Amino acid sequence: MLRNILNKKPTFWALLCLPAAVMMRPYFFGDVIAMDMLHPTGEWSARFMIAAMLLSPLLALIGPRPWLSWLIQRRRALGVAAFGYASLHLIFYIIDMGNLDDMIAEFLALGIWTGWAAMLLFVPLAVTSNDASMRALRAGWKRLQRLVYPTAVLVLVHWIFIHNNLGPALLHFIPLVLLIAARYFFANRTIFKGA
Amino acid sequence: MRLWTPLSLAAVATIAFVSVPASATGAITCKSGPVSGWKSQKALTDKLTKDGWTLRKSKVDGGCYEVYGTTPEGDRVEAYFHPVTLEKLYVSRRGEVLFRKTGY
Repeated sequence: MLRNILNKKPTFWALLCLPAAVMMRPYFFGDVIAMDMLHPTGEWSARFMIAAMLLSPLLALIGPRPWLSWLIQRRRALGVAAFGYASLHLIFYIIDMGNLDDMIAEFLALGIWTGWAAMLLFVPLAVTSNDASMRALRAGWKRLQRLVYPTAVLVLVHWIFIHNNLGPALLHFIPLVLLIAARYFFANRTIFKGA
Repeated sequence: MRLWTPLSLAAVATIAFVSVPASATGAITCKSGPVSGWKSQKALTDKLTKDGWTLRKSKVDGGCYEVYGTTPEGDRVEAYFHPVTLEKLYVSRRGEVLFRKTGY
């Protein structure tokens, strides 16, 4: 019974919404302002993006596992969640800045335009995260979704330069980089053994 | 398993390495002495508001008062003030320093 509920897709969606519910509470109660919402929304967007990106290299490295397959079946939801939190992030940025002039004034800062570019790349990824798009695009779907790699680089640069601080961004991205590197490293070795 | 050992080690070492210097986000620091000698934060925000600033938020950062807001000239900025003298030390918007007092 419980297992059944846990395996339902809506349950997973609810889980993905949970951080938003927690972070929005103080905002609605007026304890924090839009500016304070930028960090948590951006961080959770990056987390979900990284989570979605971890699954393929994990599968290549450790082979199929029940929990991993469970997550891979829900990977598109993770990606859409990343987009959802990024949208919240952008909305709070617009509320915080309050007018177009100030946004244009800082647009060319490295920490800013990379954020806009990442958001722009997120759009086609999110709108094609459904069965109909997968069917329509066939092999092109996977190629399109690989846009997540340049997006991730933009997100990383955005994060580092908006904070003037390497620590938190690297903390999130290094596991991903290690896994992707390990995937290629070990994949090549296997080829050598087979040859 | 032999795959996991080096991987997890590398991960932990990296995490430890990057966690240590994760501090000091402030653009500048003030040698401002004990807090008892400071003017109040409200004194600063009142003064700025009177001067035509619109403030969103103010806090203490690196021994300075740091405010987020819009200058009388209409720039959306982050600015630092000395807590003893309330002197303007540093003003920036993202990606661009607009003012920096000599020595800071």
